[in-house]
Amino acid sequence: MGSQGGFGQSKEFLDLIKSIGESRSKAEEDRIVLREVETLKVRLNDPNTPKYKLKEYIIRLLYVEMLGHDASFGYIHAVKMTHDENLLLKRTGYLAVTLFLNEDHDLIILIVNTIQKDLKSDNFLVVCAALNAVCRLINEETIPAVLPQVVDLLGHQKEAVRKKAVMALHRFSQKAPGSVSHLVSNFRKKLCDNDPGVMGAALCPLFDLINADVDKYKDLAVSFVNILKQVAERRLPKSYDYHQMPAPFIQIKLLKILSLLGTGDKKASEQMYTIVGDIMRKCDSTSNIGNAILYESICCVSSLHPNPKLLEAAADAIAKFLKSDSHNLKYLGIDALTRLIKINPEIAEQHQLAVIDCLEDPDDTLKRKTFDLLYKMTSSSNVEVIVDRMIEYMISINDSHYKTEIASRCVELAEQFAPNNQWFIQTMNKVFEHAADLVNAKVAHNLMKLIAEGFGEDDDTADSQLRSSAGFVAIRVESYLRIMGEPKLPSAFLQVICWVLGEYGIADGKYSASYIIGKLCDVAEAHPDDDTVKVVTGIMKIYSFEIASGNPVDLLPECQSLIEEMLASHSTDLQQRAYELQSIFTLDARAVKKIMPMDSTCDDIEIDKNLSFLDGYVQQAIENGAQPYIPESERLGISSISDFRSHDVHEPSTHALRFEAYELPKPSLPHNIPPVLASSTELVPVEPSYVIDIPHPTSAPSASDTGSSELKLRLDGVQKKWGRPTYSSPAPSSSSTDLVKVQNEAPRPDSASSSKPKTRDSSYDSRKQQTEIPPEKQRLAASLFGGSSKSEGRQPPSQKNSKTQNHTSDKSRSSKASAPDTAVKPSQPPPDLLDLGEPSIASSVPSVDPFKQFEGLFDFTQETTPASTGGVDGASKDSDFTSLFADMSLSAQSNIDPNPESNGLGGSKVEPTSPQLNKGPNLKEALEKDALVRQVGVTPSGQNPNLFKDLLG
Amino acid sequence: MIRGVIIMNDQGKPRLIKFYEFQPPEKQQELVRSIYRVLCSRAENVSNFIKADSLFGPDVRLVYKTFATLYFVFIFDKSENELAVIDLMQVFVETLNKCFREVCELDIVFNFYKVHTILDEIIMGGQVLETSSEEVASAVDAISRPLSLSLSLPLSLRVCVCARALVSSCEWVLRCNRHLLLQLSLRVLEHGAQKYLWLNSTECFFSSLYFLLFRFV
Repeated sequence: MGSQGGFGQSKEFLDLIKSIGESRSKAEEDRIVLREVETLKVRLNDPNTPKYKLKEYIIRLLYVEMLGHDASFGYIHAVKMTHDENLLLKRTGYLAVTLFLNEDHDLIILIVNTIQKDLKSDNFLVVCAALNAVCRLINEETIPAVLPQVVDLLGHQKEAVRKKAVMALHRFSQKAPGSVSHLVSNFRKKLCDNDPGVMGAALCPLFDLINADVDKYKDLAVSFVNILKQVAERRLPKSYDYHQMPAPFIQIKLLKILSLLGTGDKKASEQMYTIVGDIMRKCDSTSNIGNAILYESICCVSSLHPNPKLLEAAADAIAKFLKSDSHNLKYLGIDALTRLIKINPEIAEQHQLAVIDCLEDPDDTLKRKTFDLLYKMTSSSNVEVIVDRMIEYMISINDSHYKTEIASRCVELAEQFAPNNQWFIQTMNKVFEHAADLVNAKVAHNLMKLIAEGFGEDDDTADSQLRSSAGFVAIRVESYLRIMGEPKLPSAFLQVICWVLGEYGIADGKYSASYIIGKLCDVAEAHPDDDTVKVVTGIMKIYSFEIASGNPVDLLPECQSLIEEMLASHSTDLQQRAYELQSIFTLDARAVKKIMPMDSTCDDIEIDKNLSFLDGYVQQAIENGAQPYIPESERLGISSISDFRSHDVHEPSTHALRFEAYELPKPSLPHNIPPVLASSTELVPVEPSYVIDIPHPTSAPSASDTGSSELKLRLDGVQKKWGRPTYSSPAPSSSSTDLVKVQNEAPRPDSASSSKPKTRDSSYDSRKQQTEIPPEKQRLAASLFGGSSKSEGRQPPSQKNSKTQNHTSDKSRSSKASAPDTAVKPSQPPPDLLDLGEPSIASSVPSVDPFKQFEGLFDFTQETTPASTGGVDGASKDSDFTSLFADMSLSAQSNIDPNPESNGLGGSKVEPTSPQLNKGPNLKEALEKDALVRQVGVTPSGQNPNLFKDLLG
Repeated sequence: MIRGVIIMNDQGKPRLIKFYEFQPPEKQQELVRSIYRVLCSRAENVSNFIKADSLFGPDVRLVYKTFATLYFVFIFDKSENELAVIDLMQVFVETLNKCFREVCELDIVFNFYKVHTILDEIIMGGQVLETSSEEVASAVDAISRPLSLSLSLPLSLRVCVCARALVSSCEWVLRCNRHLLLQLSLRVLEHGAQKYLWLNSTECFFSSLYFLLFRFV
């Protein structure tokens, strides 16, 4: 039971935790927690709950929320607790509030004033608690309210407070960069704080700032190098050592900053070479943290201006990482390799076997990292191996997020480096087959475009282009016909297939139109409605090509049934297409050729958005007495203003509503427009009488049945007004069934995954085989890495050039090296930095810190009392004692005198707590008070007065 | 920046959840569940890193480590170094060990409030604040020492009251020898008076204390 000692919870809480721990099911746990929630609700709202109990209830509330239950009823109590004088309660309040509320919560405004007050407190623990809360709770709006206090705290005598103030400012700059932009100099100043901890804290905001805008901070590079040098030379106090490394976390932060500053800046990089090299040499590679620094140095080297010596050292370190048994180090080695490969692609070659080992490692993280590496080092020579590997892995995993990523990478690499069309097609087929739903829809589109363009850009003559395109397409058609046998295809893939078959299925004459159409019809049956659209388009294309080329066309029976099915479909799109397909059969070859030109995907189609070709028709209609078109916005305006013109206004609106009438299919009518026009003309006279007709329900439905749905719509409004449920009930019910149907159709099962386990097994087997046979692995390595060396073979001259350049630059650097050292020192802003080795203790003597005094007191009693136990004389001791404690109480009182409540001593012990607790609905009062205070402190924004109104009733 | 810290046990029950960017409670539960699912699928003797971009967005990783029955999970983005985060975790656990003497799951369950306090001293607003476990332990100590003594009176006064009352009560009621009395008062001070003040028969103790005080003052 020793574990309960910490903060003194009651037995109830322990029982709660125990019972939750022992609960066997989630349901049982939920029951227990819900009961707890009820208890807490009652207890928290009870005004007589003593304060220390209240604190425990808040902690229990936190626990409840951590288990995933709603605790919002208690938020206000947590807020109230932050107002408490007592540090314990205040901290609990702050903790609860930081965990409960987000920074835009309405209740935050109630805390801002308390935070302001606490930031000014002379007890540094209170200040720290407030700073912690500030980090989490203050948003852009409230930053100005606390900013001055936080800035003041940068000069606090306690280093813990300074550190936290820096962090708080950093947080502000993250949340609202504009709010603290004028304070950036403070971060720079804090770099030369006496306390290394504060300096370390200042590195965090500087890192972010430098990340955002490097150029502004170039001047700091020298200082950072200097600091790093001092840290590496162990000039910080011993307490900053961690596992025998001097201040490793600060070193890492500094290396990160240096790599930012040195990126693409030769001059800055040159200043850093020495120290980075030193650090890499000094790193203790047996400890975890040593390797962390080593890894960070490699990252730094890889982003600095290349230096051959450092690169060599980095390559050595990477080799060490990769050879290590630890997966963590291997992971970092691969990561570092990925970075370094950008500078020097040859490095990977030494490690090819290690990389392949990582690729076959059971550790998923490592494998993915390795794929990242492969992705980065892909070239046209190794693309086949890499993409095949990727696809193999893609098939084996279930994580859709990563699948998406890897699929898009495959596509990208294939598009970029594809050695030939054949391979490209196969790859894309594979990708689509397994992850078509995951790749960007654009990829499918790109693919179709690519096919349409014939993939023959590099061929000059139109003839060869045609040939290659035809061959290409033929391969595709063949492969797709094979794939179509699969029971379920992802919709994006299906789209590609249908498109290709539609466009090119009969292009080379290998397959007859009826064969392909038959296939397509099968596919249409096996797939849901949305995909049928694609199939139908494909069928339509083939038929129209056939018609256009003058061949005799006979409608296949399955196609006929498909069309009939579609005509009865609920999807207007499908219906439309079915009608179109039907009408194509009635047209002659010339017309069809015009509508569906052969192989014209790449032609640009101009769209006349103004429909200017209809102008003549419109003009004619107006001359015949039709109303001119009024734009919708105007139309609405008019209808809202004038009711008496409703007749005129409704005529266009019947047109606007007309498309709903299509819902009921009328296959017998080839032309839709005349009946609708007729119905609308019928409707308009019916409408006014209709409103009057309400008492005679029998006449209305028959009228509305024949009429279009717009009649029902009008009825709807009437029915609502008069509260008669009889009329329009058919309309909503029918629409609701429609909805239900649509919903039923909507959740289609996703792409087929039935083949996954199998494929995974097989891939696993193949992997196994490969691990057993090293020669195969070597071959793989050769195919992966051999290419890079070959391709690199072209480049040596340039490489050499850069090397010699480096060399000369190196020389110049060495000659310069001494110059900057002397020249820069005077200009360096933080001279105090150099004094880091001597931590100043003088500042830690507080003058008015009650806790320090108390500590002194504490020590005093501890030291003196043992002494007196050693003594024997009882009487003298007695007097000693009383005098001692009299002293103590005196000094204590004098300490606390400024606090008026405490003067009552023991008798009034409970009083300080009681005023707030005893006054009935004290919550209200506290809020009221708070609202008042706030008006002085922070001006509430527009919504906040309302908030108070709600709260105060 | 560190996005969050989660401690959960090997059954996936959260023991501590702390996100440095607000996450609504439902989302927190969901994240804990999905992280637990990932952790379960990891074999032993593999790396401690997991790419978490599917849960938290691009470039976010998490480092986990098991200590006895507990998973410690740190979630962070690319501005942190993975190995260093492992060491940060080590610092955290070392500090817990210092504060609880041989920390176990129960300690963290029962005192998750204190664990929060410790974590607040190590990480603040998503940035690493302090990496020395001694420093952290002493800072937490500084916070919890007044905590355990504080009821509602100011601190130093409270100590005086306790000590005086003890001394006098012993004299007056027990008439025991001063040796024992002294030790008693010392223990009150040493143990933060907490065990005597509210764990055991709080009310009874107080009433006698006040009674005595009135007589004496």
